[in-house]
Amino acid sequence: MSTPGTERIVVVGYGPAAHRLVERLGRHGHRGEVTVLGDEPAGAYSRPLLTSVLDGTLTPGALALPAPPEGTHLRLGVTATAVDRHRRLVRGSDGRAYPYDRLVLATGAAPLVPDLPWARGADGRLTPGVRTLRTLAHCADLGSGDPVAVVGGGPLAVEAALALRRRGRDVTLVHRGRYPLDRHLDARAGESLSARLRALDVALCTGRTAEARTGGKLRLDDGRWVAAGEVLLCTGVAPRTALARAAGLAVRTGVVVDDKLRTADPRVHALGDCAEPPGGTGPHFGHTAAWEQAEALAGLLAGGRDRYTAAGPVVRLKAPEMDLVWLGAPDGAEETVVFADAARRRYARLWLRDGRVRGAVLLGLGRAIAAVVRLYRRGEPVPADRLALLLGSPVEYAGERRPADAVVCHCAHVTGADLAAAWRAGARTVAGLAAATRATTGCGGCVGEVRGWCAAYARGTEAR
Amino acid sequence: MSGVLVVVGHGMTGHRLVREVRDRDREGAWRVVVLAEEPVAAYDRIALSAHARGAPAGRLALPGADFAGDERVELRLSAPVVRIDRAAATVRCADGTEVGYDALVLATGSRPFVPPVPGHDLPGCHVYRTLEDVAAIRAAVRPGRGAVVVGGGLLGLEAAGALDALGMRTHVVEAAPWLMPLQMDEGGGAVLGRLLARRGVRVHCGAGLRSVDAGADGSVRSVTLADGSVLGTGLVVFAAGVRPRDELAAGAGLATGGRGGFLVDARCRTADARIWAVGECAAVEGRCYGLVTPGYRMAEAVARQLTGERDAGFAGAELSTRLKLVGIEVASFGDAHARTEGAVEFVRADLGGDRYAKLVLDSSATTLVGGVLAGDTAAYAALRSLLGRRLPAAPDELLTAA
Repeated sequence: MSTPGTERIVVVGYGPAAHRLVERLGRHGHRGEVTVLGDEPAGAYSRPLLTSVLDGTLTPGALALPAPPEGTHLRLGVTATAVDRHRRLVRGSDGRAYPYDRLVLATGAAPLVPDLPWARGADGRLTPGVRTLRTLAHCADLGSGDPVAVVGGGPLAVEAALALRRRGRDVTLVHRGRYPLDRHLDARAGESLSARLRALDVALCTGRTAEARTGGKLRLDDGRWVAAGEVLLCTGVAPRTALARAAGLAVRTGVVVDDKLRTADPRVHALGDCAEPPGGTGPHFGHTAAWEQAEALAGLLAGGRDRYTAAGPVVRLKAPEMDLVWLGAPDGAEETVVFADAARRRYARLWLRDGRVRGAVLLGLGRAIAAVVRLYRRGEPVPADRLALLLGSPVEYAGERRPADAVVCHCAHVTGADLAAAWRAGARTVAGLAAATRATTGCGGCVGEVRGWCAAYARGTEAR
Repeated sequence: MSGVLVVVGHGMTGHRLVREVRDRDREGAWRVVVLAEEPVAAYDRIALSAHARGAPAGRLALPGADFAGDERVELRLSAPVVRIDRAAATVRCADGTEVGYDALVLATGSRPFVPPVPGHDLPGCHVYRTLEDVAAIRAAVRPGRGAVVVGGGLLGLEAAGALDALGMRTHVVEAAPWLMPLQMDEGGGAVLGRLLARRGVRVHCGAGLRSVDAGADGSVRSVTLADGSVLGTGLVVFAAGVRPRDELAAGAGLATGGRGGFLVDARCRTADARIWAVGECAAVEGRCYGLVTPGYRMAEAVARQLTGERDAGFAGAELSTRLKLVGIEVASFGDAHARTEGAVEFVRADLGGDRYAKLVLDSSATTLVGGVLAGDTAAYAALRSLLGRRLPAAPDELLTAA
């Protein structure tokens, strides 16, 4: 291989992962030629902000990412049609061949369309009025005003439904799971989320699938009809691996790579949504993982010793209406801590091991989110007062553990004041207090408590 | 007021009432006649399961239950009252004797509820309420054989714990999705179920009893659950709740609550100013309480009225409960199900499934209004005494310290 830092690099795909890689290559001092083949006609843009186009707060142009470093050969509208690993070149839809020393596959993922007869025509295309949501093109002309049915229950489905509501559209969310985000949230978080969505006038049809669509309506499997002038399919994505497969590279869900983001061919790498790093959990979807991978790979290609190790996932729902974050995973946790406020639809759950956060779900608790994410990222132990942590603010505690009017013995209805009076009258032991007040003589369940009060009196801290 | 006070029933509540009256009645205004249905004086019914496991009955004795040496109290055993004549101000016992009263307190308690399923009265079916019931169950125990307890509430689990300790292969049948549904939330109920299962008690939740089935000899051979499963057993113990003993109401023209019980006002008084009801037989403003602590509070309120505090009332009582079996402890206190308006919950649980603790707080998350403990109830007494108060320290500290 030629000297690291000077190799010819070809990047296939120009989504956010590729964009970040190219930018970081420059920063890491890579001096070789970099060519990027992007099949979309526009330059790279911020996919996480697509819902801001959907709700009308941003124009499509505003999503554009900065131009790549000077000297980068950007070939937009060019699809890579084949990889010839033997001759180390990529063939483009423009008829040209692009030779490489290193090839980076950043082909991303494509929307997964479920096998629903009404969604696809005989030609395999989506039927009129049905679309997915992955690219800027998908966001065009969605402002027309018809009621929209969003099909799916993942983060994109929820974000899209909320974005369309912000735009004033009637929105129904159709999801076959019991509640939206059921793959990420436990049932109680799901309840609070569902209540919040309903309060924002997102109609929810959960536990349902759509069976047919006619006259701008979807028929659900319970026979109900929902208005669906437009249908937005947010039913997941699949890594785009055809090119890698055709080139003879190993593919499971995504293109199989090691912790150097390298395929079995040391000259071919893959990153982002199309790549499947070690760990057995499939591709690490989403822009955060893509950026971490781009950072690691840029360092490696520029001659460094970087490795990609997945930081635990931290996913934040992109919707201004609500603070919702889930992170990590419960696997291996020993303890769980929950804060639930059904009335205000706030919910938090932590999974802990050795007092450290392994996983969490937080809804409607903005300040706690910041604190928990920080603890998780740093691997620091959670503070002793976990209620305060989840509330996001210190709690003012009364301090007094043995208030005079607290009922200590419920069988005989003996209060702290009664015990104090008995103490002052000379009862100095549990037996003495019992004889004087009848405390502990019923079910006996308060013996430990009376002992505690007795000890406190003996220390002179109470009963004055 | 003065004269003859007749107390119908000598259970824990009736006994508390008499003691309170005697403690307060310095001048001896009242002569007290206690008419007990059982052949024994009041005993600690809460400790019945200890007796079922083999503790001598004497250990259940309540202090001063026989009123020995108190000539102002007359205790008549095996003297169930069958009629109240309000016009004549007398009660009549089963043996025909009549006792006149100036004040009458009904403390007749509850009777076990037996679900009316086919076979519920076959030989081998028992209830679990009195010393006699326990004696019959103990006589029917066959170590190694099956026993079915119908009802996964507090009483049912105590009975199950006793049967298990006596070596029976014990099943508990509960129609609700988890055990002790009145006291436990889902998380606490799940821990309780696991702890019992670990001890060898077979727990069947979410399926009620469909029938009790007879063998060739005409006695119990098995039970069938609503889901069709069949449990082989020669012994069935019903612990599926209780109903107030209010049979005396109809003949006396006294009103009863919607779900039974002598209807009384907040002072535990019936519409007849000389008649009160306390404990599990009383429907205080329509509501019955199936626990002893509220009964004690009612008994105290009535005793105070009888001794000059005309307006002493029953201010309600918190409904805390704790179940303690070998290796199994659960407790609930206050608003365990977070029904208080705006209430929030703080939960911590071991994922191994052995410990679960929930505190229910008011909407500002500062005042304790209830909770559930399962697996470890060390903090129970302290937390219970803090009900309705500002938390003195962080929940984590309160749950750990104890």
